[in-house]
Amino acid sequence: MPVMDSSNTDLRIRTSMPAFASPVDIHQAPRALIEIENLDFHYGPHKVLHEISLQIPERQVTAFIGPSGCGKSTLLRCLNRMNDLIDGARVGAGRISIRGIDIHRSDVDVIELRKRLGMVFQKSNPFPKSIYENVAYGLRIQGVRDRSRLDEAVERSLQGAGLWDEVKDRLHTSGLGLSGGQQQRLCIARTIAVEPEIILMDEPCSALDPIATAKIEELIKELRSKFTIVIVTHNMQQAARCSDLTAFFYLGRLVEFSPTRTIFMNPVNPQTEAYVSGRFG
Amino acid sequence: MPPEKINSVAAFPVTFRPGRYAGLTGNQVVRGFFGGNAIVSVVVLGLITLFLLREGHGFFGQNRRNLEIYRAAGLEFVDILKRQEEGFGSLNRTLFEIRLAAGREKEPGSPMATAAELEAFDAYASELGDAAGPLRELVGELVETASAIKTKLVMNEDRLAERQHLLATGRQSEAGSIRIETIDSEAELRPLLESRARHSAISGSLAKSLVELSERMPSMSAPELQVLLGEFGELLRDYVASFPGIERQLAEWRHDREVSIFSAITAFLFGREWLTASFWQDWYGVLPLVTGSFLISLIALGLAVPLGVGAAVYVNQIARPSERSAIKPCIEFISAIPSVVLGFFGIAVLGEALRKVSHIAWLEWIPGFPIAERLNALTAGCLLGLIAVPIIFSLAEDALQNVPKSFKEASLALGASRIQTVVRIILPAGISGIISAVLLGLGRVIGETMVVLLCAGNRIAIPDFSAGPGVMTQPVHTMTGIIAQEMGEVVQGGIHYRALFAVGILLFCLSLMINLTAQRILGRYRLLSS
Amino acid sequence: MSQSSTHPYQSRPGIRRAAERIAFWMLRVCTYAVLACGVFVLSDVVFKGARAVFRSEFPFVNVTFFTEAPESLHVFDYEGRKVEMGDREFRAFRHRESQKAAAENREPLPIESQSFVYSAGGILPCIVGTVLLTVGATVIALLLGISSAVYLSEYARQGTMVRFMRLAILNLAGVPSIVFGLFGMGLFVIYLKWNVSLLAGWFTLAFMVLPLVITASEEALKAVPKGFREASLALGATPWQTIRKAVLPHALSGMLTSSILCVARVAGETAPIMFTAAYVVRDKLPWQGLEHFGDFFFQGVMALPYHIYVVSSKIPQNDYTQRTQYGAAFVFLLIVGLIAASSIILRGKLRQRQTW
Repeated sequence: MPVMDSSNTDLRIRTSMPAFASPVDIHQAPRALIEIENLDFHYGPHKVLHEISLQIPERQVTAFIGPSGCGKSTLLRCLNRMNDLIDGARVGAGRISIRGIDIHRSDVDVIELRKRLGMVFQKSNPFPKSIYENVAYGLRIQGVRDRSRLDEAVERSLQGAGLWDEVKDRLHTSGLGLSGGQQQRLCIARTIAVEPEIILMDEPCSALDPIATAKIEELIKELRSKFTIVIVTHNMQQAARCSDLTAFFYLGRLVEFSPTRTIFMNPVNPQTEAYVSGRFG
Repeated sequence: MPPEKINSVAAFPVTFRPGRYAGLTGNQVVRGFFGGNAIVSVVVLGLITLFLLREGHGFFGQNRRNLEIYRAAGLEFVDILKRQEEGFGSLNRTLFEIRLAAGREKEPGSPMATAAELEAFDAYASELGDAAGPLRELVGELVETASAIKTKLVMNEDRLAERQHLLATGRQSEAGSIRIETIDSEAELRPLLESRARHSAISGSLAKSLVELSERMPSMSAPELQVLLGEFGELLRDYVASFPGIERQLAEWRHDREVSIFSAITAFLFGREWLTASFWQDWYGVLPLVTGSFLISLIALGLAVPLGVGAAVYVNQIARPSERSAIKPCIEFISAIPSVVLGFFGIAVLGEALRKVSHIAWLEWIPGFPIAERLNALTAGCLLGLIAVPIIFSLAEDALQNVPKSFKEASLALGASRIQTVVRIILPAGISGIISAVLLGLGRVIGETMVVLLCAGNRIAIPDFSAGPGVMTQPVHTMTGIIAQEMGEVVQGGIHYRALFAVGILLFCLSLMINLTAQRILGRYRLLSS
Repeated sequence: MSQSSTHPYQSRPGIRRAAERIAFWMLRVCTYAVLACGVFVLSDVVFKGARAVFRSEFPFVNVTFFTEAPESLHVFDYEGRKVEMGDREFRAFRHRESQKAAAENREPLPIESQSFVYSAGGILPCIVGTVLLTVGATVIALLLGISSAVYLSEYARQGTMVRFMRLAILNLAGVPSIVFGLFGMGLFVIYLKWNVSLLAGWFTLAFMVLPLVITASEEALKAVPKGFREASLALGATPWQTIRKAVLPHALSGMLTSSILCVARVAGETAPIMFTAAYVVRDKLPWQGLEHFGDFFFQGVMALPYHIYVVSSKIPQNDYTQRTQYGAAFVFLLIVGLIAASSIILRGKLRQRQTW
């Protein structure tokens, strides 16, 4: 039986007008950390991304929205090359560069790349190990054996993920014993333990209840000061609440990419307007 | 019935109608048919247990009778003396080995001992050999006496059985014509018991001459031989020291001491000898067969576990999909090779090939090499390994496949390499599946018949574990092999026949235990992953 | 972590990289070693066996090998040549020789022959016996197995009885084949007094593969989407109608193909038929000399696996005997291999065709 998250949180679930995180002008945004240029992407014979060009700035939360199957998750998984694991998946044209380095260059070590781009998945996926070992895993595989360094990193990461107070007394119990929301925050703690520059979140709240969702959203806002976050969501309110920039995808194409406020208040493209106002999707 | 109710049923007819087939609906009949078939497996398992027990349970009673006759006929008594004689025989053999060593050339052209030394040694050896003459004579006489008593007892036993059979079939008159002799055990055994005095005299003089002999060992110039002789002297003194114990055993021996059913069972389970159709005494001890089975299984699993699990990891985690879809059916195809063909291959090719390889000079460091026998535990173990690999591979691959993909993704996304992911996440998560795969492989290997029957060498003896890992190259016999080999030649209902069924029961219990353990481990794993 | 390289994601050669590569290679070697062993065994039997079975001239196949019963082989020197003859031919030859000698009024030449049992003639009765055993056992096993699977997967509710059944099936799968042989001997041969017979062999083999057939069939039934059943039941079909119309048609091909692998197992087993159905040698073919039709089921047969056991353990290995040994093993492998391969290929085909 999952334990309910501690509950006296303000439920920031709005149904009418979304609350915006912070107004950012795209032209004033810090220099782009991730640059995607004319990216085409194929799954076998199917072309799933068409000429995507996008510049994701540093230390901001960028949300990818769009109806199911529009390619937003695929694009996200392109960024840390998780798509390499899928047979027949390939980049057709264009390039992705992070800090000016093309991530598909032959001398790029995908393992080094993934160490710098943490990822949180749609369904929380803690390892069948203790909470402590889950968080320490990333450091252990990098060869860290020093107990005090691990202890310190585990505590810092769990605090960073807002989970420390809930689990500090049972660090050595299984991570699978936590509730859904706690598991997802454990996954976030596991991700930030290796201190990536960028955190990719693939619909992190889609399997969670509203209370757990609110906690994660709050966490995202806190993490923004230290990490660049890219979040895929199909929940428009969520994008509105916690992102600075929003990209709207439709049928594998980038339709509009603007500051979140612009997308929701006065979108340029009629398709975007139709989607954000709930007329389709 | 009130009319409005009938109307409502007619308007909305959802109630049951009675069935056409003896009150059952067609669906119930069909369901019953399928259910009846599903019960068959339970029934078969029950029948297997029932019929194994039916044919096998009589063994323990018969074995008890067998041991009773062994005791009542004085065979047990004579065996004590025989052991004394055998002890002497092994002393003689040791001396003979020293003689061989003495004759061997240390450097080309010069034997270890001089001709004069050898002559003295030979004289000493023949003197030693002669010392046991009287003992041998006595044992020879007693063996005949005891055998004669046993023959009488067994004949009586057979007559009794025949009479009972006739009585059971209702032929009273014929039954009456069968005469059962009453055997006065006391009187029959008297010569044996009286021989005790003669024995103590013989063994006393033997002890004296051996002690005397041990004091004047032949001297040898080569220090190696001197060491060997010193060790021989020790053995000689130990042997003489065992005499009082033997006399005590003889004095304490009683022909009418009861043989409990418990001892009949332990004689089966822990007996070190499986000796049938012998003129002296048959033994049904399953230990040599069990050790043979386990030795072979150990070799087979030692080969199959690393290969099978390694291949499973490779195919599931590392191989490209095209490679994967090519390898999997190939390995599955190996499991379709019938075991009798593998056994034939072992006889025709592998046994000889292994022996040739083992005779290569620079491979002599490997324990057990060079191999003397073409067919041995190693040959059978290798082939059984090939049988076990596909099983372990398929089940282990299943277990790895069942590890959620998300674990792998999460680990890779954290920057772990593929091998780190395998070692730290995937293998631990799939470990219970892998363990149960290994156990099921073990069950298959222990139960495999044809390969061991053809290739294990079929020597019924506990392999000599003092050879260390070299024990692998000795010929052994197995539980499955003995059933297959001897079942065709035994009398139905006889003790040997029942003994083979008792081995079958043991095998059945063993396989059930292995299987249940594997299921339990797998069950816990399923619980954990869900 | 060193940052001396040109960019942070630069791949760096290192011990860990090398270790990973070595580990991959070791695993790869494991896999291919297994395959190599299998290929070696197969190719040895196939190459040497093909020499016994095929001929370089017309009709390219050793016809007697497939049409005759096994007989002894006699090898002797005659007029300075080594001559090999089957038993019947040898007797006729000796008869001719002695007649010739009598006609010429002299003592017949002494013929000193070495003889090897079962090494001449063919293996027809063994092939016939194996086919009969396999077909009969398969029919019984499929009938029992498929209906068991239908019950367990479609009718049964979770309960003690079903748990018990599943436990029995799992344990039955682990019972050694020789124990099945003992069981068949105890129940069919002795208790039911069927003697060593086809019928006893059928049931013994069928019970042995029953758990495999049940598991395979259940797998196929599970692959049929739940929606099919629910849709049918929601339309008011009875459970049996649902199974017959909405489940079985989709599962049957899967059941049959995966069950073929069990057939290969039936054909390949020796231990269970040793005491229940197989004769070392039997002159008559199963349909010859029957008094009643029923006798057909109560006769023992020669079987290929048992024949291979006999020829490989009871006669010495040499050039003369090896032909029969390898020939029999090759033909047996061919039969079993064809069954198994057809199952594996059919299954692959089926997976491609299944679209749900």
